[in-house]
Amino acid sequence: MPILSLDPRVNRLQAEEVPAHQPPVLIPGDHWPSYQVFHQRRRGEKHSSVGIVHAPSLEIAMAMAKEQFARRGETSNLWVVCTADVLEMDYADEEVFRTTPSKSYRDPAGYKVNDKIEAYKARQSNL
Amino acid sequence: MMPTSLPTHPLARYLLHLADDQLVMGHRNSEWTGLGPILEEDIAFSSIAQDQVGHSLAFYEILHQRYGLDNPDQTAFNRPENQMLSSWLVEQPIGDYAFSLVRHWCYDQAVALRYESLSQIQDPALHALATKLRGEVKYHTFHAHTWMKSLLHGSEESRLRMLSALKEVWPLALGLFESWPGETDLMEEVGTTGQGWYPGEQKLQMQWQARALESMASWGVDVEASGLQRMEPVLGGRQGYHSEYLAPLLEEMTAVFRLDPQAEW
Amino acid sequence: MYGGGYVPAGAEELKAPAENPELLAQFEERIARGEKIEPRDWMPAAYRKQLIRMIEQHAHSEIIGALPEGTWITRAPGFRRKLALMAKVQDEVGHAQLLYSAAETLGKSREDMLNDLINGKSKYSNVFNYPAETWADVAVIGFLIDAAAIVNQVANSKGSYGPYCRALERICYEESFHLKQGHSVFVWLATGTSMQREMLQSALNRWWEPIMHFFGPSDTMSQHTETLMRWKVKMASNDVMRQQFLNMYVPKIWELGLSLPDPALRKDESTGQWLFTEPNWDTFFQVINGNGPCNRERLAVRKVAEERGAWVRAALRRADARYATPLA
Repeated sequence: MPILSLDPRVNRLQAEEVPAHQPPVLIPGDHWPSYQVFHQRRRGEKHSSVGIVHAPSLEIAMAMAKEQFARRGETSNLWVVCTADVLEMDYADEEVFRTTPSKSYRDPAGYKVNDKIEAYKARQSNL
Repeated sequence: MMPTSLPTHPLARYLLHLADDQLVMGHRNSEWTGLGPILEEDIAFSSIAQDQVGHSLAFYEILHQRYGLDNPDQTAFNRPENQMLSSWLVEQPIGDYAFSLVRHWCYDQAVALRYESLSQIQDPALHALATKLRGEVKYHTFHAHTWMKSLLHGSEESRLRMLSALKEVWPLALGLFESWPGETDLMEEVGTTGQGWYPGEQKLQMQWQARALESMASWGVDVEASGLQRMEPVLGGRQGYHSEYLAPLLEEMTAVFRLDPQAEW
Repeated sequence: MYGGGYVPAGAEELKAPAENPELLAQFEERIARGEKIEPRDWMPAAYRKQLIRMIEQHAHSEIIGALPEGTWITRAPGFRRKLALMAKVQDEVGHAQLLYSAAETLGKSREDMLNDLINGKSKYSNVFNYPAETWADVAVIGFLIDAAAIVNQVANSKGSYGPYCRALERICYEESFHLKQGHSVFVWLATGTSMQREMLQSALNRWWEPIMHFFGPSDTMSQHTETLMRWKVKMASNDVMRQQFLNMYVPKIWELGLSLPDPALRKDESTGQWLFTEPNWDTFFQVINGNGPCNRERLAVRKVAEERGAWVRAALRRADARYATPLA
């Protein structure tokens, strides 16, 4: 006996009640692999990672990404990349970056010359 | 219900059939929302349904402002079945996903052609509208194409399902190009190119069919053997004669609205 | 939309294997500093398990939550409502997609989650086991259930797990559209004809108990709950969220001259707390255990949707497809 619903769409589906010991409806891989989606809001801006879609191919991934990640607001472009093709650094290795912020010789802020100049000027005017 | 008589102005009648098709198609496609074959596609197909309902609203709005039709809500939700100009194709139930996809592919290819031609109209408002809506339809046809190609190349089962849906949909799709009163008058209207912007249904059908058959051949469908070219169109919609499915569809769609058509919902 | 009334695993079920004390300390320090945990970080087994369970329940609540309102998708009156409802139900499906993806990063596949939904092993918010009897139910769900969901989700979005927080950030933004459109339908009915107003009042009466159930019973402050709060898995107590909800929304109902079916409901101005009649918690547990008015229908529909789509998915499944856990 199909389920009787208040939703006319559901009545047209003729859904049957789930039996007590329902075996898995989906097998592994049934919902396809995933693709990472990158979104560019406007020309000139960078693409940013916004999430994933499950899809069987790059082309369908793109068709799916368009509505899941660009159905509101502004979009200029999208990329999709198969997740399995991405190499991710291990978070446990985060320490390789630990000292980077302190390498002041790579930053403009690491070079302060005004004190020197002011001192020099002061010396010159005292001559 | 007060019957709204059909517009006599040829352009108005043409816009009304565009609007009615989009409304009924969008309504049908929305039946998949929440019930689609995979979450991502559920979302994509719902957007397409929303676009279609949105397009119908845009056309009803113009019909209301210029041609004296009632406001869009009344025109869409409070009109007798025999005043509807939708085609039989869009009225059919959603069927399985193969049927819905093949219908979507046939239908949106035809819409793309109609918008291409409408964007050559001299009327600035309609020109701007058609140009704007074409972008959305471009996604619809990309979406439809991608699925058609994928499933025709997919499994044995998917190929058979798609082919069988094609045979079911084809005669209904031909019915999209049914001739209608006022057609020849509209063909005489000069567009931005200095020639007629509306090529007439027969020519539209030929363009549509050429594109469709070409795509199918590229997907490995034996067009000759399929028998599609020998099929007769299913007609009636553009004259207000409908399949058995439109009346219940309208009854469902307007069920709440009709509780009090004058109320604000 | 979603879902409080989250059913946490019992302390027993989560009995964690002894964790490496050093790693555990680092993990807890990171959370205490307000940093997020990312998918491939070390995490206690109990944290992973609890999060999978919570995000999964949330995802199920979205996909099942699409059904009560979906009941009216083909009957929404007028263009404005028709388009809004289509977009809203679509968003629920979109939220499910985002949340299943977040849960996947913890190592449970979407297929396994959906299987557990269909076979009843995994729960979803109880509130979706009630029918949407009339158009006015769309107003009550869109306004009040979504409002309650926002209270819950805003709290959770400050949690510790990166992918869940990111998903919630977007979800909360979209929920604010839901709330607005729900409130709009609600106000239109409340200020409309007497028929519309009665329709709304009767929907409100029917939904009040499920709404009071929404955040779940008062928390018992066990050691287990404390751990979940320290790990920023659970962000606010059920009572705190319920109070927040009542404080924000009951006045918005009353200002329209509508009533709520609880004579004891009032704000104690001296404490700032809302007083109310405890809803029947036996009913709540009855419904959770599968005996609500729509439990069977909801699962049957989800099952048939997956089954009807099976050939589409199978046709494009490739034996050499490489699955990788989503990155973020």
